[in-house]
Amino acid sequence: MELALCNHSSYPRIGDDPEHQLLRRTIAQHDKGEKTDEAVRAAQDRMTELALAEQTEVGVDLVTDGQIRWADPISHLAGKLSGVRVNGLLRFFDTNLYFRQPVVEARPERTEPLLLEEFRFAQEKSARPVKAVLTGPYTLARFSVGENGASSGFEQMLEGYTAALAAEVAALAAAGATVIQIEEPALLQHVDDFPRFEQCLTAVASSKDSAQLALSIYFGDPSAVYDQLQTLPVDILGLDFTYSPGLADRVISNGTARTLMLGLVDGRNTRLEDPAAVARQLEELARGAGLNRAYLSPSCGLEYLPRDRARQKLKQLAVIRNTFLGSPS
Amino acid sequence: MSRAKLQGLGIDLPLFPITSVGSFPKPDFLLKARADFASNKIRRGALEKAERQATEFWIRKQEELGVDVLVDGEMYRGDMVAYFAENLAGFEDGGLVRSYGNRYYHKPIISDEVHWDEPITLEWWKYARGITSKPLKGMLTGPYTIMDWSFIEYYPDRRTACVALAKELRNEVQALIDEGAKIIQIDEPAISVRPEELPVAIEAMHIMTDGLPAYFISHICYGAFENIYPGMLDLPVDNFDLEMSNSGLAMLELFKRRTYTKDISFGIVDSHSHLIEDDPTVEHRLRQALEVLPKEAIWVDPDCGLKTRTADEAVAKMQAVVNAAKALREEQ
Repeated sequence: MELALCNHSSYPRIGDDPEHQLLRRTIAQHDKGEKTDEAVRAAQDRMTELALAEQTEVGVDLVTDGQIRWADPISHLAGKLSGVRVNGLLRFFDTNLYFRQPVVEARPERTEPLLLEEFRFAQEKSARPVKAVLTGPYTLARFSVGENGASSGFEQMLEGYTAALAAEVAALAAAGATVIQIEEPALLQHVDDFPRFEQCLTAVASSKDSAQLALSIYFGDPSAVYDQLQTLPVDILGLDFTYSPGLADRVISNGTARTLMLGLVDGRNTRLEDPAAVARQLEELARGAGLNRAYLSPSCGLEYLPRDRARQKLKQLAVIRNTFLGSPS
Repeated sequence: MSRAKLQGLGIDLPLFPITSVGSFPKPDFLLKARADFASNKIRRGALEKAERQATEFWIRKQEELGVDVLVDGEMYRGDMVAYFAENLAGFEDGGLVRSYGNRYYHKPIISDEVHWDEPITLEWWKYARGITSKPLKGMLTGPYTIMDWSFIEYYPDRRTACVALAKELRNEVQALIDEGAKIIQIDEPAISVRPEELPVAIEAMHIMTDGLPAYFISHICYGAFENIYPGMLDLPVDNFDLEMSNSGLAMLELFKRRTYTKDISFGIVDSHSHLIEDDPTVEHRLRQALEVLPKEAIWVDPDCGLKTRTADEAVAKMQAVVNAAKALREEQ
């Protein structure tokens, strides 16, 4: 099996070294009126470059920009759309990260690019291909609230978010993104809503042009919808294997019609995986499901870990691959 | 209703007791002292002097404002979980992770068996108690939240880690009570996140509070309350301190559907906004609470700790809370 290493999405924007505190320091000074917007952007640029360099250095084949500029996984995209304002803090799933909840006052509309400049910057600075990552329309809608209450206008929200993200995917593909990842962790909390989810994902996929579209599902066991996920018009399917030992059995028994992004390394806990154990899992998956090609990745974004541990997790990917291939690490 | 319990403990409070959740912003001189200490420019004694000075500042400020139940302001704490992890055996520092926006904290790693060796918050409680005659809360972060906000490497699962922490932290509660603390707040902001684990949090809170003579408050914030209500009412505490304003008082709808049975510290100002709410807005929130809850059950405070605000903002937000409580006391 051909095995490529990829980062999932986010990467820590801070670390214990003074160099890694640049962005925090600059934003704090900006809030006091001591630094300009340009200084904040420059700090974001620098931390993005560091994130790209660290991924490349440890051998990741498909890197991301680390989402260094994102305030959170929801408001960074939703907050740029017309018809949406950003409100109070809510917890992002069961993580220790909080996001600002979008309040949808009118159908969300994309009036400017959302990630295009960020992607261009990262691609220009990276020695490796950069995966563009967007939180998907279904998750954005599930974490938004209508102006008049939690459930009002969900269809309108979803429709608006879907159209906006489809346009962004088209723009990213036109800008040269070869892999575009849509993140939809909210699906696992609403598996009965799969038909509606499929509809919006299909609309987004229709604008990908020649780019490969990856769908990433995490923070839960996707076994219950595994067969349905196989029917979606995506090229790569990212799965979080840390929630259920049964998922690997499901993949082996049912096979896959998509290239899998195997989230076998826990992106949320500092405990390092045993490379031999993960390599055995890979061997079983490759043989059992007949995989010719796959990505090995963390189970989710790495921003939930301290920087040194995030880096170790990425290094561990390379150790696992070498163990899997029978090479010395 | 727990007024009788409070009176039994010797505490008589007015209608709408005014309190705060726990933390206040650290004054600039303390921030500088902490930075100097971190870079080995000053010794611990100099840092502690600054922490005492800052604690006294906030005690006096609360007294001036007319707060009824005071807090020490947590001048000696960094993050609410990391502080306890630093003072319990079994933890190691796990480095910085982000909580929101430009806010970061040191997320600890439970890398060995946890153990309470000596009191953690007690000396600060005693110091604050010595400089005010007002009731003063004992404050600690709860075992479920410490577990949830840590990386778990030593214990096989989350429940085992949580129960182990609860058994150790009960020693801290006991130590506070032994020194005279009557009101103890156990913060559990993580509790609403995994509804399926509510029984674990309840089990841990029983371990922390059963048989101990104090009025217990638990602060919960920024989660999906609808997932744990009314089950959360089984937590063995007297008062829930809840973030209400940030969520547009959404929990009141839940209380209408299923009667709320405890005292409540009702957050009537948003702690994470620079905006200082005007008096009519804050009073209106309290009036909305009165439409659903009995007046004797309601305490008032900000949604959450105020440490992320400037000192001026924190004082202004507390002033808004005081103004609303006093205005409505006169009407009742």
